[in-house]
Amino acid sequence: MRKAAYIPKEGWKDFVAALAGRAEVYAPCRDGDAVTFRKIGAGQEPCLDEPAAGAPKGVIYPQSHTLFTFDFRKDPAEPDKMEVELNASTEAPEAIILCGRPCDARGFAVIDRVFLGIDPYYTARREQTTLITLTCNGPYAGCFCTSVGGGPADETGSDVLLTDLSHGYYVEALTEKGAKVLENAALKDGAPYEKEAQEKRAAATQAIRPVFSPGARPAEAPDAYWEEVSQKCLGCGACTYLCPTCYCFNITDEQSVGAAGRRIRSWDSCMFAHFTKEASGHNPRAQKSKRLQNRVAHKFIHYPEKYGEPACTGCGRCIRLCPVSMEISGIVATLTAAGT
Amino acid sequence: MQDVKSETLRIVGFLCNWCSYGGADTAGVSRFRQPTDLRIIRVPCSGRVDPLFVARALLSGADGVLVSGCHPRDCHYSDGNFYARRRLEMLKRFLPFLGIDSRRFHYTWVSASEGQRWQQTVTQFTKQIHELGPASKEAENAAAVALSATPAAAGGGAALTVPSKEQVEALKKAVIDALSKVDVVVGWKQGFDPLHVEPCFIEKPEQAGQLVFSPLCEQSLAPYLTRLKGKKVGIIVKGCDSRTVVQLLQEGLIARDSVYVIGVPCTGTVSVKKAAAAVGGEKVVSVSFEGDAVKVTTASGEKRIPLADILRDKCEPCRYPAPLVHDVLVGEPAKAPAGEGPSGYDDIAAIEAMPLAERRAYWERELGRCIRCYGCRNACPLCVCEESCIAETRDPHWMTQEVTPAEKKMFHLVHAIHTAGRCTECGECERACPMGIPLMKLKKKINKDMLDLFNYVAGTDPDEKPPLYTFKVDEERIEEHKLA
Amino acid sequence: MAASNPYLPDLATVIEIIDETPNIKSFKVLLNDREKMGSFTFEPGQVAQLSVFGVGESTFVINSPPTRKEYLQLSVMKAGEVTGAIHELAAGDQVGLRAPLGNWFPYEQMKGKKILFIGGGIGLAPLRTLILFMLDNRADYGPISIIYGARSYPDLCYKADLEDWSKRGDVNLILTVDAGSPGAPIREGFVPAVLADVAPKPDDTIAITCGPPIMIKYVLENLAKLGFTDEQIVTTLEARMKCGIGLCGRCNIGGSYICKDGPVFSLAQLKALRFEM
Repeated sequence: MRKAAYIPKEGWKDFVAALAGRAEVYAPCRDGDAVTFRKIGAGQEPCLDEPAAGAPKGVIYPQSHTLFTFDFRKDPAEPDKMEVELNASTEAPEAIILCGRPCDARGFAVIDRVFLGIDPYYTARREQTTLITLTCNGPYAGCFCTSVGGGPADETGSDVLLTDLSHGYYVEALTEKGAKVLENAALKDGAPYEKEAQEKRAAATQAIRPVFSPGARPAEAPDAYWEEVSQKCLGCGACTYLCPTCYCFNITDEQSVGAAGRRIRSWDSCMFAHFTKEASGHNPRAQKSKRLQNRVAHKFIHYPEKYGEPACTGCGRCIRLCPVSMEISGIVATLTAAGT
Repeated sequence: MQDVKSETLRIVGFLCNWCSYGGADTAGVSRFRQPTDLRIIRVPCSGRVDPLFVARALLSGADGVLVSGCHPRDCHYSDGNFYARRRLEMLKRFLPFLGIDSRRFHYTWVSASEGQRWQQTVTQFTKQIHELGPASKEAENAAAVALSATPAAAGGGAALTVPSKEQVEALKKAVIDALSKVDVVVGWKQGFDPLHVEPCFIEKPEQAGQLVFSPLCEQSLAPYLTRLKGKKVGIIVKGCDSRTVVQLLQEGLIARDSVYVIGVPCTGTVSVKKAAAAVGGEKVVSVSFEGDAVKVTTASGEKRIPLADILRDKCEPCRYPAPLVHDVLVGEPAKAPAGEGPSGYDDIAAIEAMPLAERRAYWERELGRCIRCYGCRNACPLCVCEESCIAETRDPHWMTQEVTPAEKKMFHLVHAIHTAGRCTECGECERACPMGIPLMKLKKKINKDMLDLFNYVAGTDPDEKPPLYTFKVDEERIEEHKLA
Repeated sequence: MAASNPYLPDLATVIEIIDETPNIKSFKVLLNDREKMGSFTFEPGQVAQLSVFGVGESTFVINSPPTRKEYLQLSVMKAGEVTGAIHELAAGDQVGLRAPLGNWFPYEQMKGKKILFIGGGIGLAPLRTLILFMLDNRADYGPISIIYGARSYPDLCYKADLEDWSKRGDVNLILTVDAGSPGAPIREGFVPAVLADVAPKPDDTIAITCGPPIMIKYVLENLAKLGFTDEQIVTTLEARMKCGIGLCGRCNIGGSYICKDGPVFSLAQLKALRFEM
């Protein structure tokens, strides 16, 4: 039975402080000229002036981390013989993602389908992280969540849903994990505010009109189309790194001090020119147009074919933060229309 | 408490093979005693020392770095140390900007016979490093700093005017005209929402109708010039953009006869990021320029934003409003701002005025947001290394793929130093950065030093040479640094 | 391979190194954990990720057959950073192994049929595991033909095996080199051209091919001309790989990952992949 609660605006700071007392809290914070997800400092409140630049993806799926360390040891009895010792740690701290948006939470659901149960590092962090998601009261620039099966009040992937009613926050625990994190928080009863919250959520959903229908698959397009549409692309990795669902990674060995080192996993981008370049020099996706085609196809054709949902939550970051405004929603809209 | 003086610190020395390494040998053979903190890396010539070697050493944990070569005029290779002098002086002034104590880096000249001078240099430099303490101390100091408010850029004042309909029509005509001379014209068109414009590639006259020109056209199109190799390219440039064209010509990265420049005098552009932030990032329904303000409408209503508030930082002190190179000029030549005007480097001076630890804390916070997406690098018109960029190569292996403060600083140092003396402050790096990092400040600091040291401004004369790729036998403004 | 952590390699030791050609070496490895080695199973065509700690990991087919498990053999052509480091290894050196990965040759469907192997250069490596597997289960398969070529005589791999196979009465081995050496009794000709010359009939035959992309291109053309259908042609692909388990997103063709859904594909499967090819 879903219990509704309420935090008046004056109680918000204490609520955040209480959360910070029990786990590492990551929330959108003012950081110089930007707003980004960071561990919230003592006495700090999340900054909700504008949408956070990056997704909170890095909390559960860090941009770089050590898979294992390797230490070389010489056998004193046989100096020619070298032994190696490997050490891996999949420990994860307890964490809370506070004031991510439904598109961020849904992003984890996308990555879960691929990584959960297979990748022990991701699995551990996912299990240790609670998502307290803030619903949106309207679209931000580039948003298209309703086109991909989501919405400004979508519940997928979240443990707690918050709705900003301006005088306070309407709070709903969606899962056991969510209920647990709200334990002992001095919350008021939310029942009197339920209607207001529902109306706010419905109005926000109405305001984000889909630009293509969820479930529609883009048709294939000739090379000339992809060449034209990718011409302005700079081939950087901003779109993939800011994306709540992108999970491509690289594995590299790095040297530590002495006869030791570590194998690390780090985010990589299918939009980088050398992503698929082989040692022979052959590169199956040497052209920008092929890389863009692959990215769109992965998100809107191949992933949905396997898992039933697109690998995109319509957060709009790749559009509004792209230096040249590449518009994936426009591409998909054009290609789904072409297919009908 | 450990006695710092007796603890061996890690000091790296880059010594040229002929003079300084010989000098160190002489000191050894003469049995001069000196501290053993310094570890020598022998290079053929001080001119071989890439300033990034020093940066890498410091960012990898070295407590001090010393570079020593032949005395100027005595270089075994004639002029290697003349280049070294310029590059290392640039670095000496740049490191403290990031909050690295400049006393941790020293460059000097020691000849093969100067055994005693070598011994004195090593002894004094080691003493200096011990007095500064281990490098980790600086990191601790920075971590303890509570940053004061970010120095705001000089505000308001510029008279930004919106291009008239007539000017835009004239521009379209110029583009259609250009199509008879080129394969493609790069311009701007309406973007995904009323607040954004995006690049367009016009190949047929009918496509010229989509062209726009407004204060939203902050993006420089010049970076596309090196990516359209083999084609004859027409390009629309504002004053600042034209400096990039000049720089690319200067470096031979493009040929003059492969570019047709359509110049538009500019009175300033707005920062789309600032405008978007002013309406809380909400979806924009309409934008209209009205006098000295812009009206931006979202679901929350209309917001009237004074243009002065969202003027792009680099536009306020602009000294090059008119294109420096053009095949055709569309519009009235803009006059350079009269009077003193704000200096372009006020924000640099503001950071230089901060205490060292605060400077370091500032950059640690700002660069801490970096996600190594390489948007800045890929947007930079001068970055043409593509897949060979040392930010990602395994051979040579300059940096790991981690996002630690050291690796991120290293990447940005690489970009700043690789563009040192070449950067025309087009601002694309900062505009492209999705995390709002003030990347221009890094390049502007170096440019300020290029001006101070060599009276040089990049991208103004296609016949000049970038200052770090040339030298003078006598440098008027580089003084030898003495150890305490 | 540690089932709970698919990124953590098992430690293994290089026990023998064979110089196959000027730039190809074969490495026989054994897992350090002898119990694990004893119970290690794999299918012909599956691959392993070999680690040189401190340098990196690369994918190689296990080219010894599952019927001969005294060691695991991987053949490596020196091409880049990791393969260069592997070539510097000596017997006794420690390496890491993540195996078995990927799919395998559908040998069940090949039983009773005529088998035609067409290989070029190091492309013989994945074919070798299936050839030896079939020879170890000879009765299950029909006539076996092997067309194998390389740039020159020194570039032919597995010369000891080629010697064995040429002597066997139940294998038809046709060797060729692009450029002959005086005195060496090998026919001259590119593999696709030799295939056209030999002109095998497609009836009840499965063709399995692996080699340089240019060779594959013409082999496929010529097989089509000879009347082979797409379902009758099997190949094994390679790509730049990192995770080897279908997560890192780079080795895909369309929606299929070469590391997980491959590396073995029939031509019919490859043609069906959308949005790429």
